[in-house]
Amino acid sequence: MNTLVSRFTSSSSTELKALDSRDPDYGENEASDITWGSLGGFGNLGLNGIPSFNIPTVPDPTAFLRLHTDDAADSSCRIKIQHGTTTLAFRFQGGVIVAVDSRATAGSYIASGTVKKVIEINPHLLGTMAGGAADCQFWETYLGSQCRIYELRNRERISVAAASKYLSNLVYSYKGMGLSMGTMICGWDKTGPAIFYVDSDGTRLKGDVFSVGSGSTFAYGVLDQGYRWDLTDEEAQELGRRSIYAAGHRDAFSGNTCNLYHVKEDGWKFIGNYDITKLHYEGSQGAAYGYDQRTQ
Amino acid sequence: MDSSNIYKKSGFDFSNQIRNNFLAAKGVPVPKATSTGTTIVGCLFKDGIVLGADTRATAGEIIADKNCEKVVNPSCCGAGTAADTEFTTALISSNLELHSLSTGRKPRVVTAMTMLKQMLFQYQGHIGAALVLGGVDVTGPHLFTIHPHGSTDKLPYVTMGSGSLAAMAVFEAGWKAGMERQEAIDLVSAAISAGIFNDLGSGSNVDVCVITKERTDMLRNYIKPNERVTKERHYKFTRGTTAYQSENIRKYIVDESITYLTGSATTATTAEEAMDVS
Amino acid sequence: MQYNGGSIVAMVGKNCVAIASDLRLGNQALTIATDFEKVFPITDRIYLGMAGLATDVLTLRERFRFRVNMYSIKEEREIEPKTLAQLVSSTLYERRFGPYFIEPIIAGLTDSSKGSQPFIASADLIGCLNFAKDFVVVGTAEDKLLGVAEGLWEPDLEPEDLFETISQTLLNAVDRDAFSGWGAVVHVITPDKVITRTLKGRMD
Repeated sequence: MNTLVSRFTSSSSTELKALDSRDPDYGENEASDITWGSLGGFGNLGLNGIPSFNIPTVPDPTAFLRLHTDDAADSSCRIKIQHGTTTLAFRFQGGVIVAVDSRATAGSYIASGTVKKVIEINPHLLGTMAGGAADCQFWETYLGSQCRIYELRNRERISVAAASKYLSNLVYSYKGMGLSMGTMICGWDKTGPAIFYVDSDGTRLKGDVFSVGSGSTFAYGVLDQGYRWDLTDEEAQELGRRSIYAAGHRDAFSGNTCNLYHVKEDGWKFIGNYDITKLHYEGSQGAAYGYDQRTQ
Repeated sequence: MDSSNIYKKSGFDFSNQIRNNFLAAKGVPVPKATSTGTTIVGCLFKDGIVLGADTRATAGEIIADKNCEKVVNPSCCGAGTAADTEFTTALISSNLELHSLSTGRKPRVVTAMTMLKQMLFQYQGHIGAALVLGGVDVTGPHLFTIHPHGSTDKLPYVTMGSGSLAAMAVFEAGWKAGMERQEAIDLVSAAISAGIFNDLGSGSNVDVCVITKERTDMLRNYIKPNERVTKERHYKFTRGTTAYQSENIRKYIVDESITYLTGSATTATTAEEAMDVS
Repeated sequence: MQYNGGSIVAMVGKNCVAIASDLRLGNQALTIATDFEKVFPITDRIYLGMAGLATDVLTLRERFRFRVNMYSIKEEREIEPKTLAQLVSSTLYERRFGPYFIEPIIAGLTDSSKGSQPFIASADLIGCLNFAKDFVVVGTAEDKLLGVAEGLWEPDLEPEDLFETISQTLLNAVDRDAFSGWGAVVHVITPDKVITRTLKGRMD
């Protein structure tokens, strides 16, 4: 019996199952890496791997999905996947700022104004949500549990690079099947603050400043203009807020409120929720953001 | 262009077509025209014709008008594209008037029917007017249906529109030759009611029109089976609820004040203040 | 309609009418301007609103101004609301097979010498008129406006109460529409004055 395996197996029942010689699968499993080796001993988690999905019983499932969800090609399509968003994240001297809007639209209808587009993967990692809400929510939560497993195995926190690579490999395996997500994995690891952009095409990019979604162009405009590495915490938070405001104001599919997070060495902190109309008329600390408020 | 009709040909103007096709190709959704997904009927009785219609107008899946008039002309009910039924019947009734003026005879129902079908056929169904035409002339009572492509039918009882099946079922069961006036009105309202309740494109109230040799009676909202109950409480907002940034009042009652050139200055200043309206 | 966005609503009150529009001019998702008015005075007591393709709104505003001027010169009197409605309707139907992409709303008071009755009407893009006794709505938030108005409107509202009702109807409906909003303007027309107010609305 592999002592290493038994030492790291938390669940005793899985260990018993794996070693039970009366199990009809015993002989088969003996050599497989599910039972032994570096991946051994994780019960049905290791056995089943990534959960699988039910697929519609039509000749071409991907074309079928596209037919009923592609809003751009056919505005009367049956299923309208949530899209239209502004999310941004940037790295600076004091950590990472993550700011997002909170609007969900289905066609021209504003389905919700209180969506949480920042996914708290774990106390040190944040993911943002653009594209399919369900895709982002599911896979980033799943990423959270994988990161926890990594921690248990390796007795140290996962790096942002590794976590984002895990996600990008995962979505790449579903490439072309209709997943839709554009996300930023943000956190602080041994290397300091880090941001990785991951999307459902399989792209994974490391960078200092990112913005994703229909309002990203507007957010970049403000962001690039105000960005410096040596921003103070307050300046950085204000820049994040101001950028989301700009996108909320100019983009029809972004708006309602801004959620602001700050990632530091000891993990992320939720800074606040700001109404974008209130920012327009009153600002966050004195000066109003609105163009006509400033010029009149 | 608008200044004189001499330089402008009458009829439709197609000058926006190229632009609109370009916009449609770009994927801009075209607004929907109001249509009357309708129940319209007509039936013969002893002294003439009874026409009937529901009063719902739809634009896609929303009800555009809850109480519209589909008896567009005292002798004609329209279904299909609402604007088309309205303008086609208006044009034909005007031409019919000119026709009767030039011939010096009272117009006949067949004349109206022929003019309508010729126009609709000319436009090959692009004018989406489906009509029930009824009337009494020197040759007796007549009842026609006219389809958007120009085909016509002459029958003792007719139905048209999305609720035509429901209405026809009522006619098939209840119509008989030589009915009394009230009997015919009741049958028509039953047929329209069948459309209102069983067809989603039809709804609200029943309009009835009775045409006899002597007179035409328009019985608008003859039955109102779908009246909205009055609200038990109201949602009046307290004044000052809505915040506004600026206000401008255009007053049409002129505040006149007289400034006495030789009089005292005190009266003049109070009058000046009253002038300030902004 | 969705190319430029925008919505308009008109309501009848007690001896008054109100017409309100949002102020957005967009290019699909991009908001270009937040001061684009869609409601124009035709006479002292008649206002005409047009929702839809902005280029047609501007073109038709000038065409209607011209035709109304020609009418008052020929007839030597001010145009009546119902006459204007017919004028608008026939102008639009002329382009039956190549329409202007706008939906108009007419709100006004009839000739005061004959009792000054409130009048509202709307039409579709090819000129099918809808004379309503309560309220009319057009634009990208049409369905949302219809729902809110159906709930909030009641008969015989005084001008100030009508202002609150129409403002809240518009504001709350456009807050659920991505293509409308960014401020609003309301005109309340009474026999002796027209009150125009620019509302403080959501700016996203």
